[in-house]
Amino acid sequence: MSLTIVKHATCTFCGCVCDDMELHADGVRIVKAKNACSLGDAHFKYHTAEHLYPDALINGKPATVDAAVEAAADFLYKANMPLVYGLSNVTCEAQRGAVALAEMIGGVVDSHTSL
Amino acid sequence: MGGKVTCTLGEVKNRADFIIYWGGNPAECHPRHFSKYTLTQKGKFVPEGRKGRTMVLVDIRETMSAKAADIFLQIRPGKDFEVVTTLRALVKSQPVNRERVAETGVTVEQLQDIVDRMKRARFGVIFFGMGLSMTRGKHMNSAGILNLAAEMNAFTKFVCMPMRGHGNVTGADVVLRWTTGYPFGVSLSRGYPRFNPGEFSTVDLLVRGDNDAALILGADPGATMPQPAIDHLGRIPTIVLDPKVTHTSRLARVHITTAVTGVSATGTVYRMDEIPLPLRPALQSPYPSDEEVIKRISRAVAAKPSWIPAPQSATTAFA
Repeated sequence: MSLTIVKHATCTFCGCVCDDMELHADGVRIVKAKNACSLGDAHFKYHTAEHLYPDALINGKPATVDAAVEAAADFLYKANMPLVYGLSNVTCEAQRGAVALAEMIGGVVDSHTSL
Repeated sequence: MGGKVTCTLGEVKNRADFIIYWGGNPAECHPRHFSKYTLTQKGKFVPEGRKGRTMVLVDIRETMSAKAADIFLQIRPGKDFEVVTTLRALVKSQPVNRERVAETGVTVEQLQDIVDRMKRARFGVIFFGMGLSMTRGKHMNSAGILNLAAEMNAFTKFVCMPMRGHGNVTGADVVLRWTTGYPFGVSLSRGYPRFNPGEFSTVDLLVRGDNDAALILGADPGATMPQPAIDHLGRIPTIVLDPKVTHTSRLARVHITTAVTGVSATGTVYRMDEIPLPLRPALQSPYPSDEEVIKRISRAVAAKPSWIPAPQSATTAFA
């Protein structure tokens, strides 16, 4: 199988966010991460496109994403003081969405910075 | 971090001839920091590369990074604030007490030497890690070192930058700043943003048991937080979005698997010097991205009646 090569890819493992990666991928996994350090190399090779985990879990049991989204919305809507926390390993677009959601549910939004 | 005297890593590469790392171990935690941004690269105004730069490491133990340093200052644990304050005094040629300085593990002469070198530098930079900002003194240490960099500008160009750990934690600061006006720990429970670390910071909230639901994304507090905080996450409905089933997922009511940022999910991420960079994922995930799931949850919440009471004017209320 031929490899797809992505040049100038960005590594998000640590705060350096090196943007000079050259990723060689076979569609399922990244087989080579040129220019990556030991941490970045492990990061790129560890995460694959395989379906290793269930789409969603409710109370520990496999569920559909639709059902999980509804359950999540219900819990957050009913809460008086919900917390939206983390935001470190997600994109700015997801962070922006999380802040908007926190405002809608009247919650607290916080990141690793506060630790 | 308003008022922080800082710059980009590109400026460090092209200009810095004096580099201090404090309370961090870049050799093992940010392996390409030396080679890509700070030490070994040849810069426009540092054409000699590594030979044209002096590096100082301040830490409580001799880590791998000490091998890369020209000067290593081993200070006693918990004495960062005292050392920063002594440096600030010496910068301003104020008298210091020799015995009390010696309690920090370094001598006045060692610190005076550092100050002299700092003043002789053309462009100095201080990188500080969690060994400074998360130990005794916490944010007072960060404030001290940021002030030290600011005060050095009376003598030469000096800047300061925190060494950020997780990929896009800088982006979290930036996004929260431009959306709410504050960098972290923001409460929107009154419908407008309020900032108060200690009151609205996650560990404090959870340990006190203030929250009655939690949405966790891009983090695994179940593996990193103090036990009382983890216990509270197990008591309340917790929702986790993560590329894998994490410790937090195991105690959560709802887990949704998402694509991996940068590997199979696209978007924008901030580097530690607040430069936004685009992602170029190499794989296609069978799972939706965090962004998409957040949007779907938001749409489901928006379909319910708003929790904020409809505005009432004084005249209609009493009519």
